[in-house]
Amino acid sequence: MLLSINWLQEFLSLKGITPETIASELTLHTVEVEKIERPGDRFKNVVVGQVLSVEKHPNADRLQITTVNVGAETLRIVCGAPNVAVGQLVPVALVGAILPNGLEIKEAEVRGEKSSGMICAADELGLGQDHSGIMVLEKAKIGQNFADYLKSDDVILEVDNKSLSHRSDLWGHYGLARELSALLDIKLKPYSRTSELTPENNPAETLNIKVEDAKLCPRYLAIKLEGIEVAESPKWLKDRLMAVGQKPINNIVDAANYIMLELGQPLHTFDAKNIKKIVVRCAKKNEELLCLDGQERKLNSDTLLITDGKDPIAIAGIIGGQNSAINPETTAIIIESANFQASSIRKSSQNLALRTEASMRFEKSLDPQLTDLALKAVVSLIKELVPSAKISSELNIQSTPLPETKTIVMPWAWLRNLMGVEMEKKEIKKILNHLGFEISEESKEALTVIVPSWRAAKDVAIKEDIAEEIMRIYGYNNFPGELPESKMALPEDNLARALEWQIKDALSLDAKLFEVYNYSFVNETDLEKANLNTQGYLRLANPISQQHTLLRQNLVVNLLGNIKTNQYKYDEIGIFEIGSIFQDLPGDFYETKNKEERLPYQEKKLGIMLAGNNAGELFAKLKSIITRLIGHISQDQWEVIFVPTDLTPGYADSKMRAIIKVDHKELGLIAKIADLVQKNNGLKKMVVCAELSLNQILKLKESTAAKTYRENSKYPPVVRDLAFVVSQKILYNDLYQEIKNFNSLIANVELFDVYEGTNLAAGQKSLAFHVNYQDQTRTLTSEEIDTLQAELIKRLQDKFEAVLRDF
Amino acid sequence: MQKKLENLKKEILDQLNQAKDSAWLKNVEQKYFSRQGELSQVLKNIKDLSEDARKEAGQLANQMKQEVTERYNEVRNALEGSKNKSETIDPTLPGSDQNRGHLHPLSQTQKQLEDIFTSLGFSILDGPELESEYYNFEAINIPADHPARDMQDTFYVGEKDQPGKMNLVLRTHTSSVQVRSLEKYGAPLKGIIPGRVFRSEATDVRHEHTFLQMEGIIVDKNINFNHLKGLLELVGQKLYGPQTKLRLRPKFYPFVEPGANGEYTCFLCQGKGCKLCKHTGWLEIVGCGMIHPEVLRAGGINPDEYTGFAFGFGLNRLTMLQYGIDDIRLFNSGDLRFLEQF
Repeated sequence: MLLSINWLQEFLSLKGITPETIASELTLHTVEVEKIERPGDRFKNVVVGQVLSVEKHPNADRLQITTVNVGAETLRIVCGAPNVAVGQLVPVALVGAILPNGLEIKEAEVRGEKSSGMICAADELGLGQDHSGIMVLEKAKIGQNFADYLKSDDVILEVDNKSLSHRSDLWGHYGLARELSALLDIKLKPYSRTSELTPENNPAETLNIKVEDAKLCPRYLAIKLEGIEVAESPKWLKDRLMAVGQKPINNIVDAANYIMLELGQPLHTFDAKNIKKIVVRCAKKNEELLCLDGQERKLNSDTLLITDGKDPIAIAGIIGGQNSAINPETTAIIIESANFQASSIRKSSQNLALRTEASMRFEKSLDPQLTDLALKAVVSLIKELVPSAKISSELNIQSTPLPETKTIVMPWAWLRNLMGVEMEKKEIKKILNHLGFEISEESKEALTVIVPSWRAAKDVAIKEDIAEEIMRIYGYNNFPGELPESKMALPEDNLARALEWQIKDALSLDAKLFEVYNYSFVNETDLEKANLNTQGYLRLANPISQQHTLLRQNLVVNLLGNIKTNQYKYDEIGIFEIGSIFQDLPGDFYETKNKEERLPYQEKKLGIMLAGNNAGELFAKLKSIITRLIGHISQDQWEVIFVPTDLTPGYADSKMRAIIKVDHKELGLIAKIADLVQKNNGLKKMVVCAELSLNQILKLKESTAAKTYRENSKYPPVVRDLAFVVSQKILYNDLYQEIKNFNSLIANVELFDVYEGTNLAAGQKSLAFHVNYQDQTRTLTSEEIDTLQAELIKRLQDKFEAVLRDF
Repeated sequence: MQKKLENLKKEILDQLNQAKDSAWLKNVEQKYFSRQGELSQVLKNIKDLSEDARKEAGQLANQMKQEVTERYNEVRNALEGSKNKSETIDPTLPGSDQNRGHLHPLSQTQKQLEDIFTSLGFSILDGPELESEYYNFEAINIPADHPARDMQDTFYVGEKDQPGKMNLVLRTHTSSVQVRSLEKYGAPLKGIIPGRVFRSEATDVRHEHTFLQMEGIIVDKNINFNHLKGLLELVGQKLYGPQTKLRLRPKFYPFVEPGANGEYTCFLCQGKGCKLCKHTGWLEIVGCGMIHPEVLRAGGINPDEYTGFAFGFGLNRLTMLQYGIDDIRLFNSGDLRFLEQF
């Protein structure tokens, strides 16, 4: 929103206070001022020129070549405006000017004709939306700076609309003046533009008005004026509107807009000629309205309309219709000053994709009582602009009861405790008075405050709201800051988070992987490419892209995308992610504390993916990463095993895949990406992946006893190497477990060679182990190891048909 | 004796100086330095001398032994060194493996903040990313007709407004965990909630629909606004150095009253004004305020007995400021050339 400092000066004296001070006070205490703009800055290198000649452009039908006298010289300028004519005084942007919309004027050639400057339309100068033709100026001097022509010593502040969203009272100059009066401790003048609303015709007309939905329209005021003469507004009015970015239209419309910009209450004026009655109702199916901006709009049944009893004449609170627009022939008008439900206006404005000055204000929840003040003000202004105007009807008020006055009790001690600093009572009362809060009662214990209607409409309801007023005007930066004293207490454990960091450290530091973050979403195409079922996924009701429609159930699908992104830049890739997955099953969290219904299942998973050229090596590397990771987490208390499985997701290779297990508990899955999936995803590298459940790891951690130190044996180990030839179907892990658990004197077993090939029969393989015999209490003798080993060989022969191989 | 020692020394040094290969050196070692070698024999003889002579000869012998041993070692090192192909070693050659792993920059920022707050006694709390409309909105005083609840701001999951079924949202802020935590732990409570949040928003260099926030909350007896200022200033000093100041500006959030926007002194220009801080000297970093009494009530806490404040950091923004990252989409891009810089 744009604020004119001159306009504010009508309501309080700002003499000697710089715009910078005003901006900074507002920013630090009320709303953010984003820009301070002096017209001189805006219109640098824009001057008044006179059009000396207009000729057709030889190469373009719609363009004309003009010569323009700008005082110091005569320029040749190509102009596309239909209304350009000889003799006009026009704003000319000289070469070097930068217009408010950012356009920089340079020497140019337009369809082969040189052009040195630009004749500007109002919108190009940031003076409203008018782009129908160039601006034609009155009483201007040739060569005069355009800023001087506007005769504005005014400074404009641009306020961030978002920071005003809870303060409907600040959407007009008077409200902001009130705020400044508190900030600068300057008296606010009472609002004086007002008129009696008694009819001046005898007998007075009675308007026929019906509000069908009082919830959507709690208050509707209308009055009729006759003797209207529609004309251009006087310069002071146009200047003021243009200064804050509002396009002047005619005296009647401008008067309504002026009061809106002054008080924050949008008003609408109808040509009264064809309006016999007014019915405020919701739109019917397929209703349409040709709006003031020339667009025909389809209305849906949520949209509140102003109708003449049959057809719509305006979309309530948003935009008027052309059928009732003020026009040069208008002689009588109906002025509407109404209060509409904020959320209804917001929704309609969203549905229509149309935000107007009016809708922006209504959707902030306006004070219903403001309708009266604004109607009196606009009648007063119209009568000033059109002396022949007379009130010809009774004031018609359709209204639900006005909200009761809010009174809030604020205990002094409570305020002190909330602030943490002591403020003088006098100071507190002064701030409240400046802001329009009346003090109805004051005692040693508390202050009783009456909330003004313009604050009660939305943002002030409880004592905390009053405290905020006091604190922000006092200034947040006047609080010295102090650390809270608190009792020492241990923070809650967050074992899950601790585990996450442990994993992240191990995988980045030890395994040298890159941590990636992916979106929590997938889509059907990606799932299909990963050979996964697309059913059963939670779906976004309102996705913003086709890429992101479903909530992911695994991390692998998006990790595949990461490999594709990077595959040409790296020979080998190793990445991991810890992130949530979501399933359409009841989970751990409840909808509310008191409700049975549970949120869908969600948990954090660890996904790891390696890409390179040799699948076997990658698979082995990933197993070793996982083994080291689990070793790190458990301080080698857990032994990871990889167990073959048939139940795996579609992306997994049918052979190279296994369940990751510790102590019979499944932690996750490791697999090579199937060739088909690799091809579907355009992957040029071999890819292996693993996905582990952090929950399972945590559960395992909880059930694991504390780690204890075991003294290293004082007695030397005896290492014997044994190689066994077995069928290829026999799994390493089974053999290993058998040897390891064969006797307590076997301290350690380590595989050191796997061989398949020429020296062995088909279907056979050889596994060679270092077997480590050791006792804690004595030195073992060769004889007892020989005996033990013989028994072991026999056991393996019986169980696995393993044959000892000679080296 | 002295003479004998001098001669032996000269003889050994001569022999060592003539050494051309390790076989020669081996012979020298055998002849003089071994247990039965000449040097050992001479030293053994010293003990048979008279006491005075023994003292003198002992000193001399030790000195001489040290001298020839040093020389022997020099010669041995030189001979063994010459076995290498080149005469010199380039110590500036790189090590064998230059690669390292990389934690995501957002993880690094999150860890940094978690460490600051846990050192101040805060617990790290968690809540679901897929959340009920209740905890994300209602419980923290965001009413049904609030614009934040529009489908254009919030991702809804499953069909919206189905009779008898709850509306599910992807949480739009970590504030959704406030009431869950108050219900679970009660007061007093000091916690931070880092986590992923979502907004239904088209992405560009400055906008992301998926990002990280970190909420903080303190609820206790006698917690006041001055404490909020004190704590957040301390955090700023920890993040950006001891000279850092906090500036608070009023800002409306439905779940706090009063609410504020916290800006820290720009760390790049120390508040003088630069491009990073848009010439204001301040960087907008943290949203905060005193917890709204309705939020405390929703969490089962009596607002007449307890007060509290809450604050929220955008971790993406913090990280972008810290490293000068100009495109927020890089964080979720999976681009390793981006990630390997951290």
